[in-house]
Amino acid sequence: MSGPSTAFKGYIKYRGYGHVAFLLHRLTGLGTLLFLLIHIIDTSFVYFWPEGYMHAIALYRSTPFMIGEIFLVFSVIYHGVNGLRIIYFDMFRPDLWERETGKRSVIWTLIISIVLWLPAALIMVRNILVHH
Amino acid sequence: MGAQRQPRVVQPPRTFEGTAWKWMRYSGILLIPLAWIHVLIKDVLVGVHQIDLTYVQRTWAFTLWRIYDFLLLAFALSHGMNGLRQVLMDYIHSPSGRSRLNWILFIIWLIVLLMGAVAILGGVKGAEAF
Repeated sequence: MSGPSTAFKGYIKYRGYGHVAFLLHRLTGLGTLLFLLIHIIDTSFVYFWPEGYMHAIALYRSTPFMIGEIFLVFSVIYHGVNGLRIIYFDMFRPDLWERETGKRSVIWTLIISIVLWLPAALIMVRNILVHH
Repeated sequence: MGAQRQPRVVQPPRTFEGTAWKWMRYSGILLIPLAWIHVLIKDVLVGVHQIDLTYVQRTWAFTLWRIYDFLLLAFALSHGMNGLRQVLMDYIHSPSGRSRLNWILFIIWLIVLLMGAVAILGGVKGAEAF
C-alpha cells in the first residue's frame, strides 16, 4: 500500500525535514505576497475609486474569502516564525543547520505557529458563524 | 561525509545580491511586529465586517497610523517582491533573463508602492461626506 501518507513519509526521509520547512516558507511567502499585491491595490481605491473599495470589501466579507483569510493569517505567522528560525541559525547557530538537529526545530516551528494561530483562527471562525 | 567541515556564520558578499540577502533578514525582523500587529488588529480583533470607508478615514485621522501603514507598505512590499525575485532566480539563470526579471519586478514594485503611498497621503476621497 502506498497512499499519500506513505509518499509523504518517504519524501521527508529522502529530502529531510528542512526541505519541508523550505517548501512551506516559499508557499506561505508567495501566497502572502499574492494577497498583499491585491490588498494594496484595493486599499488604494479609498483614494482612487471609493466605490471599487466597497466592492472589494463586500467580496472579502463572503464566506470563501473569510476562510481564505484564516489560511492567510496562518501563512503570515508561519513565515514569521520560520523566518526567525532561519535568522537565528544563520547568525548564531550555523551548526543547527545539520540535518538531524534541524528536524526538531522544524517541528517546533510548526507547533509554535499553530499555537499562535489557533486562538486567532477560533475568533475568525466565530466571526464567520456570527455573520452567516 | 568525509572531512568534517565546521559550520560557520554566513558572511554574504558585498554585492547587490549579498545586500538583498541581508535585506530579507533585517526587513523580516521588522515585519514581525509590523505585520503581526496589523493582522491581529484588522483580521482578528476588528474583522472585515467592521471595515469600510469610514473605518479607514477614522484610522487615518491619526498621523501615527498613516506612518505605521506606510512603513508596513514599504517593508512588506519590498520584502515580498525581493522574495519573489529570489524564488524566480532559482528558475531563471541567464544574465539577460535575470536582468529582464529584475526590471519587470522593479516596475511592478514601483507602481504598487506609489499607488499605496498616494492613497495613504491622499486619504479617503470625498471623506468630508462621511
